[in-house]
Amino acid sequence: MRTMNEILLKIEGLHARIGDKEILKGIDLEIRKGEVHAVMGPNGAGKSTLSAVLTGKPQYEVTEGSITFQGKDLLAMSPEERSWAGLFLSFQYPIEIPGVSITNFMKTAVNARRKAAGLAELKGAEFLKLLREKMAFVQMKPEFAKREVNVGFSGGEKKRNEIFQMAMLDPTLSILDETDSGLDVDALKIVADGVNALRTPEKASIIITHYQKLLEYVVPDVVHVLKDGRIVATGDRSLVDAIENHGFDQF
Amino acid sequence: MKDYGHYIETPIPEDAYVVGAGQTLDLTFVVLPGESKDITVRVFLVGEGAQARLRGLYLCPDQEQVRFHLEMHHRAPGCTSDQLFKGIVGGTARAWFDGRIVVAPEAQQTEAYQSNHNILLTEGAKVETKPQLEIYADDVKCSHGATIGRLDEEEQFYMRSRGIPESEARVLQMISFISEVVAGIPDEKEREEVAARAEAAIRGMA
Repeated sequence: MRTMNEILLKIEGLHARIGDKEILKGIDLEIRKGEVHAVMGPNGAGKSTLSAVLTGKPQYEVTEGSITFQGKDLLAMSPEERSWAGLFLSFQYPIEIPGVSITNFMKTAVNARRKAAGLAELKGAEFLKLLREKMAFVQMKPEFAKREVNVGFSGGEKKRNEIFQMAMLDPTLSILDETDSGLDVDALKIVADGVNALRTPEKASIIITHYQKLLEYVVPDVVHVLKDGRIVATGDRSLVDAIENHGFDQF
Repeated sequence: MKDYGHYIETPIPEDAYVVGAGQTLDLTFVVLPGESKDITVRVFLVGEGAQARLRGLYLCPDQEQVRFHLEMHHRAPGCTSDQLFKGIVGGTARAWFDGRIVVAPEAQQTEAYQSNHNILLTEGAKVETKPQLEIYADDVKCSHGATIGRLDEEEQFYMRSRGIPESEARVLQMISFISEVVAGIPDEKEREEVAARAEAAIRGMA
């Protein structure tokens, strides 16, 4: 079902490279409010580069093209400004931060965004209430609040922590980069519930994956196939089955 | 095993820490911004089962000059020593870390560990680190390691992608880097004090 809501994200003629290696070779993509897009493709197609460029990872250089998010020039914004504007990336490999608790980390993040929006910082009790509510939502045990960010977490716990952070920051556009890799079915459902809960007419998601597993729980409105830095096919969810049955070589 | 020639037992200097059987020496060194220091510590583990835990952190953002000269002498069997030193060096500051572990022939079942890790904040900052192991006994567990690096870009991007501004991300990264040293302080009150002083200093460095 393709709605014709307002455009949230518009990517035009995007070329990007890391070092001397061109990875994205002309991407055009339009995401409207309320939509879930899946980006599928073989390893090395440029999927993670696309998420890195969208969120402003410094090592990547955009050589051509533009990205507009809610009418603003995304490429002119720093990674933190993009977060404040409502963009969120669930990392494929979440980073461990020894000595920094989840509580401290998220309090810093939430209050930085409130400050940027001209809002007062959340006080201790208010913040803890929000934290507990969102932890319960992703079925994270309360003792994780005191744990060091991702240190000693299992693969599933790391991904759950990503979805918890996503719920805390309540993004307008969430990008999930291979969030389903290495997850058991229970963890996968929690991730799916997290994404589905954010599925409102005002928001959108990009699910980057090379499996179809997660897409059974979060049914995409639009599916794109990314190959060698270009989108080579766009369709509805039936494209997922075509990939499952015949692989990426058909494109 | 490396051949160091004959073991020569040097006399114990007057200012050394001498740790007897079953005793534990626990020392924390904190060097804050603005301080230039020359710290020499010689420890002699002379009684069976003696232990020494040394830890230190040095924050040198400007033009400080900090030298550590550490000697850990294992002279009795079954002794343990653990040393962890971390430094953040910026501006045109200099830090030297010179650490030596000497395990005497009679010091069997020794466990001796030493690590020194450094973060450079600027091109002008310099660190020289020289950990040395001299082992004359054959039944020992020893390791040493030293690194000199920069604030991790992946970690910084992870934080910024959550909306944490770059300067605050750097603060958190530095707190994270030294946290292992702070966490090792056994006394809770001292641990909290050092954590608070280090955090305040780091906020002034970012």
